[in-house]
Amino acid sequence: MADRQTTAPRASSIGSDVFGYLLRASPLQRLAPHHRARVLMILAAVVALAFPILIDRNDADIDSAANALAFAALALGLNIVVGFAGLLDLGYAAFFAIGAYSYGFFASAQFMPAWSDFWEPFQWLHLVARIHQDGGDLVHFTVSFWLMLPISAAMAALFGVLFGAPTLRLKGDYLAIVTLGFGEIVPIIARNWPTVTNGAMGLNGVAAPQIFGHAFGINAMPYYYVGVGLVAFLIFTSSRLKSSRIGRAWMAIREDEIAAAAMGVNRVKFKLLAFAIGAAFAGATGSFYVAKLQTATPEMFMFPVSVMLLVMVVFGGIGSVWGVVVGALILQILQSWFLEDLSQWLHALGRLINVAWLQRVELASSIELIFGVILVFMMLYRRQGLIPASRRVQALTLQEQTAQVELAATPMVERLRVLGDLTYHGTEPLLDIKDLTVRFGGLVALRGVSLSVPSGSVVAVIGPNGSGKSTLFNAVTGLVTAESGKVRFADYPIEGLPPHTVLGRGMARTFQNIRLFPNLTVLENVMIGMHARLHTGAAGALLRLPGTQREEAQAREHALEILTLFGNRLLPRVDHVVSSLSYANRRRVEIARALASSPKLLLLDEPTAGMNPAETLELAGQIKQLHGQGLTIVLIEHKLDVVVSLADNVVVLDHGEKIAEGTPDVVRRNEEVIRAYLGRSAAIGNAPKGGAPKGSTAIA
Amino acid sequence: MSWEAVYLQQVINGLSLGAMYALLALGFTLVYGILELINFAHFYVFMVSSFIGMAVLEAFGLSGQSHILSGFALIGVLVVAFGATMLAAGGMGVLIERLALRPLRGIPGTVGMITTIGIGYILFNVILLTVGAGSFNYPNPMPRIEWPIGGARLELRELLIWGVSLVLMLGLHFFVNKTRLGKAMRATAQDSEAARMMGVDVDRVIVMAFFLGSALAGAAALIFGLYYNYTSFIIGYTVGLRAFTAAVLGGIGSVAGAMVGGIIIGLIEALGGQLIAVRWTDVIIFSILVLVLVFLPTGLMGRATVTRS
Repeated sequence: MADRQTTAPRASSIGSDVFGYLLRASPLQRLAPHHRARVLMILAAVVALAFPILIDRNDADIDSAANALAFAALALGLNIVVGFAGLLDLGYAAFFAIGAYSYGFFASAQFMPAWSDFWEPFQWLHLVARIHQDGGDLVHFTVSFWLMLPISAAMAALFGVLFGAPTLRLKGDYLAIVTLGFGEIVPIIARNWPTVTNGAMGLNGVAAPQIFGHAFGINAMPYYYVGVGLVAFLIFTSSRLKSSRIGRAWMAIREDEIAAAAMGVNRVKFKLLAFAIGAAFAGATGSFYVAKLQTATPEMFMFPVSVMLLVMVVFGGIGSVWGVVVGALILQILQSWFLEDLSQWLHALGRLINVAWLQRVELASSIELIFGVILVFMMLYRRQGLIPASRRVQALTLQEQTAQVELAATPMVERLRVLGDLTYHGTEPLLDIKDLTVRFGGLVALRGVSLSVPSGSVVAVIGPNGSGKSTLFNAVTGLVTAESGKVRFADYPIEGLPPHTVLGRGMARTFQNIRLFPNLTVLENVMIGMHARLHTGAAGALLRLPGTQREEAQAREHALEILTLFGNRLLPRVDHVVSSLSYANRRRVEIARALASSPKLLLLDEPTAGMNPAETLELAGQIKQLHGQGLTIVLIEHKLDVVVSLADNVVVLDHGEKIAEGTPDVVRRNEEVIRAYLGRSAAIGNAPKGGAPKGSTAIA
Repeated sequence: MSWEAVYLQQVINGLSLGAMYALLALGFTLVYGILELINFAHFYVFMVSSFIGMAVLEAFGLSGQSHILSGFALIGVLVVAFGATMLAAGGMGVLIERLALRPLRGIPGTVGMITTIGIGYILFNVILLTVGAGSFNYPNPMPRIEWPIGGARLELRELLIWGVSLVLMLGLHFFVNKTRLGKAMRATAQDSEAARMMGVDVDRVIVMAFFLGSALAGAAALIFGLYYNYTSFIIGYTVGLRAFTAAVLGGIGSVAGAMVGGIIIGLIEALGGQLIAVRWTDVIIFSILVLVLVFLPTGLMGRATVTRS
């Protein structure tokens, strides 16, 4: 999982990285970024294809390279789960095993039932062969490797879903332990189920793949090229998914699950999707690996394999597609070539200087120790990995940093709803809350609160700290379950609906203590807000047909339009990671993200908190503009001047109960309100001397 | 043996295993309760400690089961062995916290856990590379004294295990609930920020949690060796995962839960091995782990954690 420290100064001091340096020093630097990526990709492809010739067709080395490719493919799959979706999976090798045994079972002589007519059609399809034997003919499974590749992937994905469905609700580290348990159970079952797996002995005589009637045999070359093809396909798949609506949803879950749900991401569905796709990668690779080795034993899929893959992902860069490929290849090459050579050199050195233990050092056996050291070292000093998933952006010029709020011209804001008209035309109030009660254990956070918000109005909710304002938002948006009461939104009951459905219905919110996706850019944050209004699925993201491209381009354009609401506050910073923004700008991004979901109703939780008076005024103006566009707004706010200038109606909460409601003027004179804010003595005109309590200046 | 006697024997075995798992589970719980970190290195601290304990016993000139001691000599050797092993294990825990985990304090997500996996891996391989992959005959000075109970037999070493575990758990209970530092520990577990503001030295509390948890793992490691008469580099993972399951089953973060969970897992292992088959014991235990986490995430005695939005 990518952490929030990628931008921390400590990371960057060591992070002025070798790769960046090489890039800057090379002629590649002169190319535009997307050209550079293309040139690097072509270079990588040429090297990959020419590799067997470059190393002079040494079969053992090509074999090591083919193995390394299998692990690169696995690392890519684990990266989807751990890197993209942020779900730590310590039992990933289990899916590798499932894919491996799937192919092994259907392409070996492990299981040979008696022949019957039932098998005729399968024989005709070349899926089975009839073996003639004394005492009755037998069935021999001979399913083609190429057919089993997708089938194994599907099998593994199926297990991913079956296993993930009940467990993916768990918190990060608990999920890790559950996956660890799963990763243990699968090899144990493999060991104890000899009919299918041949137990600890392992499957034998797994058929080699064939192409146009030529069997691959034991020569490493064809496997190498299949491996190159597999890795290339998985890189392609990963990159396309990453830069799509799917990838953004995954990263949103990784960064902040609650916020992701509140922005319309169906957490369970997208976590399962990540699990399934990650498992599918492992399943396909399992087939490849077993076809290459022509055997499968339980030991090939134990915990050390899962850890090695995790080390590869962490080493290469969590969430970075090219990073994990490079990481996997480097570690595999280290393991199979470099450590051997290094040991030989040490032996020679030992002979030379006559030191006995140097002559006996076997570095290859300490590879796991090296993995452990790498893991700890990377976590302590370079959590973003060798090739970080996100690139750094250049600093803004002085001019760009100067606020020019006037740029926010009305015509641009007028187009705020380009993605579909979601205006509400019903007769009921847009939001109607009746008798809402929320209880946390013994504490009643809300007691029988009723509130109605007519379409097109601005309602402010005020009250002292702890009076239940944010709980009201949480209960309405589905983050907190209400004990009783009814909530109707746009003519439909919404109580009990999950947060992502509530957003889908057209209610978006911001959070009191800002819940952005810290390691994503401004633009990505805003585009995640559009999640519920876009439709690209996994297949669409892969194929990237014109329809998908258009949707993506429009979404991007719309996001930029929304950002113009704040003048040049955010526009020059669209590619900046939000954790690098100022506090006020983060609040603005959160509002923009909520607006991106084309809401009918916007819930703002203390939007001006932490802003200075000028910024507060500016934001109040912008909220007014939105209201002018017909957006209905509910606002929690402590600054009463903002409330007075914006709200049509004010609701006052105290100790979870509604104590007053009315126009700002009426509420301001309400005795109970004054008492709630200032205490009993103030209400009877006898305010204690000394410093006035919080809020008093605004009330009086 | 009659079948009643067989089951009675398995209950006795289960209680001994359970006491050991409970001691080990306490280490997970202490650290998790305060840092919300699953300390994977704990598995391997246990394993390394068993080798430290072996070295201590061998320092007394013991090897295998050749030297049987009795009386004060036995008590003296055991007290020194437990003391030294627990101190060394505790020191190891403190070192891990200081070097690898403190720099990562406050970073959300699974970074801490991944780091502990790395540390565990290092410990595992250091033992594998220095001591070797074999299984080692554990020095055991305990005489084989046994008492028949209803057809089963109760051995002296089992009484020792129960006694040591009981003393350590009561000691921990007393420490956590009755001492000033224990109170600071409980406060930090509830809300470390608030505890810090009230003057609690949170760093010290965390170091203490690592020390105590690891020291208990050291005791468990010595018990393992004296009970099974062997040790090996693989015990960290196999025994550790069972102890972790025990902690989760009891309710991770709960001291009483770790004890209850440990006993339950011990009994399940002993009786499950008897009723079904030893080769499926691991599957049973991991299934329990998964099922408890999914359906009863707070465990039997855990408190519901408050999540704030």
